[in-house]
Amino acid sequence: MPKIKKKRLGYGIDMTPMVDVAMLLLTFFMMTTQFRPEEATAIDMPSSHAPFKMPETDIMVVTVNKAGTTYLWVDAQNLRAQLFGEANKLKASIPVTNDQLRQLLVQARISNPKLRTLVKGDKDAPYGPIEDVLGILRQVKITRFNLVTELEKNN
Amino acid sequence: MGAVESGGESKSHARGGKKHKKKRRLRIRIDMTPMVDVAFLLLTFFMLTTYFSKPQTMELNLPPDEKIITEVAESNLLTLRVAPDGAVFWNMGTEPANRIEMKELRKFLKDKNKENPKLITLLKIDRDGKYDMLVKAMDEVALAKVERFSLAQMNEYDKRQIQKARGS
Repeated sequence: MPKIKKKRLGYGIDMTPMVDVAMLLLTFFMMTTQFRPEEATAIDMPSSHAPFKMPETDIMVVTVNKAGTTYLWVDAQNLRAQLFGEANKLKASIPVTNDQLRQLLVQARISNPKLRTLVKGDKDAPYGPIEDVLGILRQVKITRFNLVTELEKNN
Repeated sequence: MGAVESGGESKSHARGGKKHKKKRRLRIRIDMTPMVDVAFLLLTFFMLTTYFSKPQTMELNLPPDEKIITEVAESNLLTLRVAPDGAVFWNMGTEPANRIEMKELRKFLKDKNKENPKLITLLKIDRDGKYDMLVKAMDEVALAKVERFSLAQMNEYDKRQIQKARGS
């Protein structure tokens, strides 16, 4: 007995609008993404209610980690090459001693007077090294600087 | 799914009696599926790696290192001292120190500044303390809208004051 052939309905879903939207989103995310330089040391930032956003260009960051080691980083690659040597150009941050920090801060400011200074300390960093860093900033006459924190939501 | 078609049958119309020769167009089909797959993959990647919350910063102004001695009336000077264990002590001028909780600090600073608008707040943190204490204390000072504020090093005298306050 011949089987009755069932006629299948062919569905055609037009995927074009979805693909369009997906491409739009893809472009958006590709444009807005910026890859953060990899950190030389893990930093768990303290939180505050400070309203200012962190500047992104022309910055130098003095990092103090949990152990109290001080690191320095500048955002411009050519300046990094100049300060830390060509070999360290691509490194995330360079551990520095207090004397080195003092010299490097002065050099960096000479090369780019627009540089803004950021101090990024770990929540559990001892206050001693932080106080030393603040003292050095004072000595090299960087009287205005910013402390990097995370935004605290509650009061 | 996701295919582009081009061409198709071209209809020939007879116009003015003259017959066009039926041109056969090539039917091109591009399968867009792999491209769309890759696009979604990238989309997911960028969506997951992007983060919008930028860190905040706290602005701090310190006087340069030159030994400028600023004369401050004792009655206008409020000293906040933070011990290594996070305990906060306050005192006016050379009066003995009193303990205060970090939570009450904001209201306290607000009240003190209302009482005396010329008040200058001096923050001293023990070298053995944590960085978090500085940020927390400065945050409270900023939230209390205290503008006359400075940071100083803690010396032996300050440590003795804290000892005395703990003893009493």
